[in-house]
Amino acid sequence: MSGLDPQQPKAPRRANLRLRFAMVVLTVCGAFACVSGQLVRLALMAQADVAITVSDAIPQSFARPDLADRKGRLLATDIAVPSLYADPSIILDRDEAVEKLQTVFPDLDTAALRANLADKSRRFVWIRRGLPPGIAQKVHNLGLPGLAFRNELKRTYPMGTTAGHVIGSVNIDNKGLSGVETYIDAVVGVEGVLGATRSRKPAVRLSLDLGVQHSLEDELASAVNRYQAAGASGLVMDVHTGEVLGSVSLPTVDPSRPSEANAPDHLDRITAGTYELGSIFKIVTLAMALDDGKGVYSLVDTTTPLTEGRYTITDLHPLGRPMTVAEVFTHSSNVGAALLALEAGPERHRNFLEDLKLVWPITTEQGPVAAPIVPQTFDRISQITVAYGHGLAVAPLQFAAAAASLINGGIRVEPKFTFQFPGAAPGTGARDIVRVVKPETSARLNDLMRLNVTDPAGTGRRADVPGYNVGGKTGTAEMPGRNGYREKAVISSFLAAFPMKDPKYLVMVSLFEPKASAETKGEITAGLNAAPTAGRIIARIGPQLGLMPAGLVAAAP
Amino acid sequence: MRMLTISSVFIALASAFMLYGLNYDTRLTAQNVQSLEKRAEQARSDISVLKAERAHLARPERIEPLARAQGLAPATEAQLQRPQVPSGIVTGSTGTR
Repeated sequence: MSGLDPQQPKAPRRANLRLRFAMVVLTVCGAFACVSGQLVRLALMAQADVAITVSDAIPQSFARPDLADRKGRLLATDIAVPSLYADPSIILDRDEAVEKLQTVFPDLDTAALRANLADKSRRFVWIRRGLPPGIAQKVHNLGLPGLAFRNELKRTYPMGTTAGHVIGSVNIDNKGLSGVETYIDAVVGVEGVLGATRSRKPAVRLSLDLGVQHSLEDELASAVNRYQAAGASGLVMDVHTGEVLGSVSLPTVDPSRPSEANAPDHLDRITAGTYELGSIFKIVTLAMALDDGKGVYSLVDTTTPLTEGRYTITDLHPLGRPMTVAEVFTHSSNVGAALLALEAGPERHRNFLEDLKLVWPITTEQGPVAAPIVPQTFDRISQITVAYGHGLAVAPLQFAAAAASLINGGIRVEPKFTFQFPGAAPGTGARDIVRVVKPETSARLNDLMRLNVTDPAGTGRRADVPGYNVGGKTGTAEMPGRNGYREKAVISSFLAAFPMKDPKYLVMVSLFEPKASAETKGEITAGLNAAPTAGRIIARIGPQLGLMPAGLVAAAP
Repeated sequence: MRMLTISSVFIALASAFMLYGLNYDTRLTAQNVQSLEKRAEQARSDISVLKAERAHLARPERIEPLARAQGLAPATEAQLQRPQVPSGIVTGSTGTR
């Protein structure tokens, strides 16, 4: 356009030049502004956007919080260990690699490894996980190309088999399989990690007390030895909070060998097995009768054996005269307990068991407790048998919680495996209080339990520990066999609490199939094996729990 | 106009040098941070191993025979004494709960 007129162009061209120059300067300034703006943005943003993406799906493990006892002593922790893997695409000589690896791992599955390494499209094949450092060095010294290590987290249990049943176990990926470890997965939370980054979560505190747990384990192990028992279980519970301070089932399991725990004789006899516990169940029956207003000295006619259909219920040592309610307890009269239950009636009996949570399955942090086996219909015969502890099979943990509820003044407690911070306990207003029996009933029951230990004719007198005011009830239950009950195979149990004036702790001991010996005067009744074991346990854990023997308490200002 | 051009050239040069300098500094710092983080992680991992080892050595199963070999035994009720004057040093659970 401008080129058509040669006269005009000069002036507008100059003006145009200036405009262009200004435009160039502006554009450049704008570009610089953009660059510096971007720089400022990058500087202000965090450096979190550097991520390494791995195309191959590499198995991850899980970082778990530590486990500690109620005083913070370590029970389980994650440590970083080298794991060996292979990259088949880099391996030069497959046969050489497998052969050399076999020198370090004699138990290597060579056929499977050969097959895995044959697939050159794979970039990642685990060979062995969680190696000890020495073995890792040996593999390193082989100098094979295509083999490499990756640090992984591995759960370790510094206490060995102690509390193995409660802790449970994890799988190769550090995921919970059983026990409290599954509770950590479900409630506390684990993080999937690629390397060996430990969990930042604080340790999970269990209700267990390592000292109590060990003493319990030690005393039960010597009891198994002394009475030639097939197994034993023991439990220490805080009667006010339901916290389990010690839970032992012998034989023990090692948390680092999960497969071992599946063997039937390694079953957790505290939570995973249900048993007809025998006469210790009379605590429940007596509590019901006392709560219904029965006096301790009211008489029960136990002179004639009870018959129902083809069954006849007799007492081991009949007195030959009517008994008082107290005597029904201390002489452990089956007939007496049955009569008391029948007097209450089937509806009341069943409701009472339901109130105590003895009828329905319960769950704890250790996992579900084996469901109780309850008679279908609560007829006369099942009422009679349940009254003295047969016909209703329940896990010892569930029974201990029910007994604790009766002993502690009548407030229902639930068994807990995690540390309950003071103030969170029932009865302090933090949670709903469920009353199962009147406080007077509980006090009377406690007197009976104490009487059973102090009375020269009481079945529990071998459980006494000077100063600790122990009370308790024995139970010798015949184990069901193929043809009815086996007379020589029994579970002898002792349920104790101390100090009986103001009960704080409950101790429950069960010996499975103890044998008669000279020490037990040829008998296998609980008064001669389970009761003294409970006494030894209390003598040992009492000082650990900070309880002053009664004599000293009285002398204190 | 010329002054502006010349000065902008210098500014451009100077800022280029400065930017490169900053860039290298940043990379160095990032590397430093990474290695420190790695060391911290290593230290944390070492701590966990040491803690596990300490717990393993302090397990009651091991301590008990050692203590018994020294002539020690579980405390009996005869050994317990209630302090006459309330003090901070009290045996048992009062201090730990």
